[in-house]
Amino acid sequence: MESVLSVQNITRHYGHIRALNKVSFEVPEGSVFGILGPNGSGKTTLLSIILDVLKADNGNFLWFGNPGSSAQRKKIGSLLETPNFYHYLSAVDNLKITQAISGRGTEKDIDDVLKKMNLYERRRSRFSTYSLGMKQRLAVAAALLGQPKVLVLDEPTNGLDPVGIAEIRELIIELRTKGFTIIMASHLLDEVEKVCTHVAILRKGDLLTSGEVDEILSDEDVVELRAADINRLAAALRDISRHVVIDEKQNVVHASFEKGTARLEQINRFCFERGIVLNHMLIKKKRLEARFFDLTNN
Amino acid sequence: MTNLLKTEWLKLRRYRAFWLIMIVTALSYPGISYILRGIYKNIMERPGDASMVLKMILGNPFALPEAWHTLAYASSIVVFIPAVVVIMFITNEYSFKTHRQNVIDGWSRNQFMTAKLIDVALISVIISALYVIVTLIIGLSEVSPKNVGKWGYSYYAGLFLLQTFAQLTIAFLIGFLIRKAFIALGVCMFYFLVFEPISVALLRKYVDDIGRYLPVEISDRLIPPPAFFARFDKPAYEKALSQVSIHILYTLLLTVFIWWICFRINKRRDL
Repeated sequence: MESVLSVQNITRHYGHIRALNKVSFEVPEGSVFGILGPNGSGKTTLLSIILDVLKADNGNFLWFGNPGSSAQRKKIGSLLETPNFYHYLSAVDNLKITQAISGRGTEKDIDDVLKKMNLYERRRSRFSTYSLGMKQRLAVAAALLGQPKVLVLDEPTNGLDPVGIAEIRELIIELRTKGFTIIMASHLLDEVEKVCTHVAILRKGDLLTSGEVDEILSDEDVVELRAADINRLAAALRDISRHVVIDEKQNVVHASFEKGTARLEQINRFCFERGIVLNHMLIKKKRLEARFFDLTNN
Repeated sequence: MTNLLKTEWLKLRRYRAFWLIMIVTALSYPGISYILRGIYKNIMERPGDASMVLKMILGNPFALPEAWHTLAYASSIVVFIPAVVVIMFITNEYSFKTHRQNVIDGWSRNQFMTAKLIDVALISVIISALYVIVTLIIGLSEVSPKNVGKWGYSYYAGLFLLQTFAQLTIAFLIGFLIRKAFIALGVCMFYFLVFEPISVALLRKYVDDIGRYLPVEISDRLIPPPAFFARFDKPAYEKALSQVSIHILYTLLLTVFIWWICFRINKRRDL
């Protein structure tokens, strides 16, 4: 699959603070690429660099195989950090500026994206009168103007209510099925897990991992087990598992095994031979949240 | 270029504060000219010998062609009003972070600065056109001396345009570097109206006329005081006239340098 964006060894410092350290990854065409990381991990810095808002100290990036340029940015719909619009202008007038600069879309397209983002009724209102959620919707509308095949969205659900968050999720899934490439940074791991095909996880400027979501999630086998005495069960499992955690709330034990090595039958026999009768056992798919916490040591 | 103009127009056409200040600007240029002419008329129409003496000394600075010079000098006093517009143009972009958004949406950093350069140039042209109109209206309403061409000093229109553009460029630099509207306006007013005039006067008194190399004074010297000042201090007037040519060069160099600095900083700094 052809790369839409190729990030190569990007490094960036703010004074003595290292914001990004030799970050490299590829964003395949048609993917929804999530960039994850705790606050201050370098997500927005990275997106700012690929949109020419910040300069990298070292490294480079290629859009569609070519160095970044203004002509390429015109083809990319972007929302970076906060919605940036002229406060004294209406939604329509602000989008006309986006249209004039990017060359994307027509007057009709402006109406269409405003309808899509439920802002059509307030299209003539000044931006300064909008709520935080409406401002965010307008920023997404600006990014969608003219249906650019690539979208860069930095925390697209910021300030939205649960309905708004669900709508953005549906929108991203819809765009994914239409073949759009979406690069998005987010804190909302649940949302990312639902919509992303690929992820890159950053911590303090270091790229911890990147690749397809399924690959990253299935780095190990996690088996959930229950017995009458879960403390005794956990103690026994520590002989064969590399990591054992007791979940007292659910009254279960989670035992981790190297990817592809968990054999339920063998584990059952192992426990039985030690006088432990299991009353519950299943292989659990790891949640992105858990994987994220593992990687970022939170 | 057309796209830059169109986009800048979209930013301005519904900006009430901009139109309000433009109206103030449009009133202030004819206003200052008419006020000065009113004072002159008032003095001249007083009965008695004093007004006759003054008339002999001053002549009629509001008749063509001298009006070109007099009104260019008078109009240059209120350049700080369009300077407010210029500072608003650039600091608004930083307040709303639209300077980033314009680049994200597809302008190059140089295109963003070129758009601002066009804004400053256009305001300078509009103000200069206003000065020309006011000069023609006032000048043609006065009785001009015979055997003197009405267009004799019309080159002051060119000098006025250059002076306005140069001084608005300085205002732009202040807004560009400071980024905060109120601080930039305060610094600009203080520098234009207090700091530099006092510095020039003090330097002249205690050191030498090196104050003429200060940024605003460089272009201030493009339009020397009107001709009747020659009656009070002829050597100083003639010296001022003789320095105009070199100050055209200094003004051009400084203005190009400021824009070069602005483009360079904008290209390198984080948005």
